[in-house]
Amino acid sequence: MKNKHLIISFLLLFLSFMLVACTDENTGEKETDKENETAGETEKAPDTKVDPFDHSEKYTITGMTFRFGDPPPLSSPGLDLINERFNVDYKPEIIPQGDYVEKSSAIVASGSMPDLVGFQAGDTRFYQWAEDGAFLPLDDYLSHYVTLGKIPDYIYNSFKVNGKIYGIPRYSQPFPLTPIIRKDWLDKLGLEVPTNYEELEEIAIAFTKEDPDGNGKADTYGVAIGENINPNFNMGTYWDFNAWYHQNDNGDFIPGIISDGRKELVQFFANLYKEGAMTKDFAVLDWASTNNEFYSGKAGIFVGGVSGMSQEYFEGLLSINPDAELVAIPPFEAPDKSKGFTMGSGNSGILALNANLAEDEGKIYRALELVDFGKTYFPAEEKNPQNADFDFYLGKEGTGYNMENGLPVQVPTFSSDGLSPSTYFLDNREQVPEDAAINYADSYTLPELKEMTVSLQEMFESNQMYIDPSHGVLSQTNQEKGTDLMQFLINEQSKMIAGQRPVSDWDALVEEYLAKGGEAIIKETNEGIKAKGYTEREWK
Amino acid sequence: MFKSSGGERVMEIVNNILLLLIAVTMLFPFLYIFSVSFSSISDVLNSDFLLWPKDWVTDAYTYILGSDQFIRSLWVTVYVTVVGTFINLVFTSTMAYSLTRNIIGQRLILFLVLFTILFSAGMIPTYIIVKETGLLNSLWALIIPVAISPFNLIIMTQFFKGIPEELTEAALIDGANDIQIFSKVILPLSKPALAAFGLFYAVGHWNSYFSGVLYLNDPAKWPIQVILRQIVIVNEPNAALGGHAAMVEALPPPETVQMAAILLATLPILIVYPFLQKHFAKGVMLGSVKG
Repeated sequence: MKNKHLIISFLLLFLSFMLVACTDENTGEKETDKENETAGETEKAPDTKVDPFDHSEKYTITGMTFRFGDPPPLSSPGLDLINERFNVDYKPEIIPQGDYVEKSSAIVASGSMPDLVGFQAGDTRFYQWAEDGAFLPLDDYLSHYVTLGKIPDYIYNSFKVNGKIYGIPRYSQPFPLTPIIRKDWLDKLGLEVPTNYEELEEIAIAFTKEDPDGNGKADTYGVAIGENINPNFNMGTYWDFNAWYHQNDNGDFIPGIISDGRKELVQFFANLYKEGAMTKDFAVLDWASTNNEFYSGKAGIFVGGVSGMSQEYFEGLLSINPDAELVAIPPFEAPDKSKGFTMGSGNSGILALNANLAEDEGKIYRALELVDFGKTYFPAEEKNPQNADFDFYLGKEGTGYNMENGLPVQVPTFSSDGLSPSTYFLDNREQVPEDAAINYADSYTLPELKEMTVSLQEMFESNQMYIDPSHGVLSQTNQEKGTDLMQFLINEQSKMIAGQRPVSDWDALVEEYLAKGGEAIIKETNEGIKAKGYTEREWK
Repeated sequence: MFKSSGGERVMEIVNNILLLLIAVTMLFPFLYIFSVSFSSISDVLNSDFLLWPKDWVTDAYTYILGSDQFIRSLWVTVYVTVVGTFINLVFTSTMAYSLTRNIIGQRLILFLVLFTILFSAGMIPTYIIVKETGLLNSLWALIIPVAISPFNLIIMTQFFKGIPEELTEAALIDGANDIQIFSKVILPLSKPALAAFGLFYAVGHWNSYFSGVLYLNDPAKWPIQVILRQIVIVNEPNAALGGHAAMVEALPPPETVQMAAILLATLPILIVYPFLQKHFAKGVMLGSVKG
């Protein structure tokens, strides 16, 4: 009796595993076959040259990507506008950013990868899937398009796998986030904007102990910082944990996170922590709470950028401290005499095309046309209803947006009601041309915020920017272990800051990193850097 | 009944104070959420600790209730909870009852049920099933895949086993068929159990969010918890790991709005809870010893 039970259990176990395995693989294949068949039918003649901008045939185009904020509904005026203009049946699936990785994995594993697939910056699945042949090589198509054709090669290079371009970058401006400081507090205490970490440390401690807001209470401190030692407060590339700037004894580039500059920075934080001059519970504070620490007037040092600042938060700070004034801290001179911040990677996301599209060239062109339009850059003077493309992009004046003081202002429900086509483009970041003269302050109306943005932009433009040689270099080990290793280092360094592990343990930590796979990452990355013809550090 | 000694009285007082303290710690977060939701943003930012709004501001509620989205999603959740719980109870009780009868393959079915507790299929296979059965983007995707919780099913089976066999036999002699026995004899005797499991299921439906994100493509069909998540913890870019660009795309709405949303989303289930709660212990424990 007992034996019988045992056998049945094993049999069942085996069967169910088989079942799971089968569904997993076979559905994938079947789907592709089906799609290929239907694609084959609609195809006209594969050898004749298709006119890229012929709109006579209607295509169904599917896509998925992530979105910060609220995704738009599945049927709406904005979507109708797109379908009409491009003669498509467009089915974008826009997923909240926090759930994107899981949901997109499930969709792809279920064998229904859409025509267009978005990835967040640095998502290693992009490179893995490209290598597996899931995506369409784009090299032959890009030149047809106004926007896509003009994106510089050095950015496209990041999306090459085995020599072919598989991804379209989502634009990000080249200027990084950089530390900013409460000028009004400095003035109050008779201090100057710091020029090195010792001075910055003194200021942070003074902000903590000398009542810079003058309310008689010890309710202020220096540096606002949150989990993952974020923001990283590098005062130049030398201290930037993300940049491959430092070199080891063999002359190979190493990641900033294990460099001497980083060690100095960790020591700096450890000192602040001991003095209570940085956020005490930094290890568990999320990004929104970190922002709160600063914009509620508790902390005096944080980071800012030329774009993406929240006017609402800034107004909140002004309502508490009406005199609040923020200025950028210029880069410090590093021990090796270098001075300047790291230039951004040039992308904040990737868009790839399903390899199945190869069966139907007309559809490829139509899909790329959609992508191209979504990335169109409109100079400030063309952002008005007189520009038909722009008017379409925001969903027509009076419906999707209104002109106020000569500036287009989107109606509050433009996204939740899907009023403007712009929300439906999987990549709706404008791709700013290299030579465009942008005044970042234009995007704000608050005078104080405008002022700060101008000071930041001037600071960046008057300093050199380091070009990270590791951008677009692939390392197999980094794809497999990079994220875990980075998290490991961040965790250990957080412990050092909080005094749970001595900073003198630094060399041991670096050894641990190298042994766990860091060595291979450095070797592979340097091979890639050399293959790109990179030998010296380059500043722009 | 009997006079309590001094020691017992002290014990009672200490006990009450202790329980009161525990109750306060449970209530405190709600009070805090309540006060913040009715305060102005600057009050919240200014004070470290807020137990009662300084001046009553309803901006947060105007903001939330001003968009269709919140109310719409609240209805979706109510719908899923009511319909879902009903289906849960029908499926669970009928299956549980049939498992107490002498049917062929009873042990095998029970084994299969147990098996799913030990080895669940995982997200991707479940997604594939939902997709292949055409449930994607339909509210049924939130109901059917979770129609029977194996754990609840087993407890309910035990509960039914506790009902004396003689009752069934008597009904049988009176000429009742299986369905009549189940609906007229067994179910009326199982009200406490049904209430308890109904509560389990209802709270489960009310709180579930991930299946909403996973199976529903249309934000118009999202349940309240997904919306709540969007309002409270959207866009948490892991800037440390993602590089510079991952910065502030849009920060979450101010704390007052978040708290108002939390309160509005929790309130309905909180109101229902006390009414069902009394059946709770009774329902789950019934069948062991009767008092």
